Amino acid sequence: MVAGALLLLGACTGPVRSVDVYESKAGQTAEVAASAVQTALLAVDAAKGDKAYGRYLTQVLVEAEEDASSAQGTFDGIQPPDRRADALRGRLDGLLGEATDTLAELRIAARRGRFAELPELARPLPKVAEELGAFAEAHG
Amino acid sequence: MKRLFAIALGILTAIGGFVDIGDIVANAETGARFGMSLAWVVVVGVIGICLFAEMAGRVATVSGRAVFDLVRERLGARVALVNLAASFFITFLTLAAEIGGVALAIELATSVNYLLWVPIVAFLVWLVVWRVKFDVMENVFGLAGLALVVAAVALWRLGPDWGGLLHGATHPAVPQGEGHPTWWFFAIALLGAAMTPYEVFFFSSGAVEEGWSRADLITNRLNVYIGFPLGGLLSLTLMAGATLFLEPRGIQPGHLSQVALPTLLVLGKLGLAMLLIGFFAATFGAALETGLSCGYAVAQYFGFQWGKFVRPADAPRFHLILLVSIAAGAGLVLTTIDPITITEYSIVLSAAALPLTYFPILVVANDPDYMGDKVNSWFTNALGSLYLVLLLVVAAATIPLMILTKAGS
Repeated sequence: MVAGALLLLGACTGPVRSVDVYESKAGQTAEVAASAVQTALLAVDAAKGDKAYGRYLTQVLVEAEEDASSAQGTFDGIQPPDRRADALRGRLDGLLGEATDTLAELRIAARRGRFAELPELARPLPKVAEELGAFAEAHG
Repeated sequence: MKRLFAIALGILTAIGGFVDIGDIVANAETGARFGMSLAWVVVVGVIGICLFAEMAGRVATVSGRAVFDLVRERLGARVALVNLAASFFITFLTLAAEIGGVALAIELATSVNYLLWVPIVAFLVWLVVWRVKFDVMENVFGLAGLALVVAAVALWRLGPDWGGLLHGATHPAVPQGEGHPTWWFFAIALLGAAMTPYEVFFFSSGAVEEGWSRADLITNRLNVYIGFPLGGLLSLTLMAGATLFLEPRGIQPGHLSQVALPTLLVLGKLGLAMLLIGFFAATFGAALETGLSCGYAVAQYFGFQWGKFVRPADAPRFHLILLVSIAAGAGLVLTTIDPITITEYSIVLSAAALPLTYFPILVVANDPDYMGDKVNSWFTNALGSLYLVLLLVVAAATIPLMILTKAGS
């Protein structure tokens, strides 16, 4: 019970006083978003080869979008401690925005049953995944 | 011939029944994050569960009473109560995780939110436990769980670098960028998943349900020594799939859907369909086992009439405990706590409670008053004692590591 309470407290988003801690949180956020984008890319691969049912693909894409959006929401809720952190936030937010926008488009297309359009809609994702991965490595 | 068939059926059921939501999640998450470097833990866990499940089955077969029926008598009410409290809590959490797992598997096939399926799944679990015969229930879901073999077929079809996988498994090392505490935390989670307490509750009580006699001792051994290791191998194929597909892409699986990706990318729709059937059967079967185990544990401690071998009207308190446990488990999932998170906590906390479950088995299996000439051999005792020391170390390290690593995040 005590362990559970400690973990819940640790999971709360609070103010960050040091830029190093902020940077590490930015790195973790990029890692989660990169994972979501890579998952979506595998789902698109499956759609391209007609290897999965539509309902399953839709579910994967819904979850990928939720993961990326939730990571972005949590990160945006953290107060950046100084100007260097502002710059970091700006850069990551740009990448996260691009990722979530594309994932949302994929989800909408999948929900409407337009699976043939997924590869075209996913075009920006490999570059976003690469950049998020590089960001996570540099700041993790 | 009939006996051979019964033995083969028992082995197949043990293979399919070995894997549950905890094994699926723990092996996929570990493979995606640490490659095959923690495969040795699955081996340690499988040897441990074989050792203690065989003891539990032997005790039930020789004495005609389930192990935990004897624990209170042998160790006293207070020690047995501690054992009951810890084991029941973990088994209940596992039951909630399994109900959530079934709902997630159906969500993948229907794209309808899993929360809508939870009450239906809970009702079906209760209905099967109430109406279906024990052996039918065990065999149907155990055999259907064998559909998970499709993950092994996909791995074989992929034709991976077997040498590389084996090298990763036999040369365990913490991957670059990961800390030792996190690596050990995941090792504990894997051990907890492989040695979940409900498996021995169910195994020993199941022997009584099926009326095993001394003639069934060989069946007990074959089920355990062949079925469980093959079930463990099935877990390892999920880990290998994650190692090959998810780890190189930096995917951290937090959903059941991601665990299916390696299989469907190799085998396509048929592979996906088989895997979803396997997920459903494995989690539904485990929900039945954990639900029954909740009833077994409490009823056996308090001395209530228990089991499906008697009419429900003759074991009302046992069935009431079952009903309340299933309803409460479904209620926990309906709070919208992610079922995967419940699974992660259930396997880690189960690791912390392992000595409380396995110590009494070792004691009872050594008591000649119950076991006669079928007490443990010196080798079984030596290995059992070694495992208890290991489990004590694991139990002591679990909570500090959970806090230190923020539950492996």
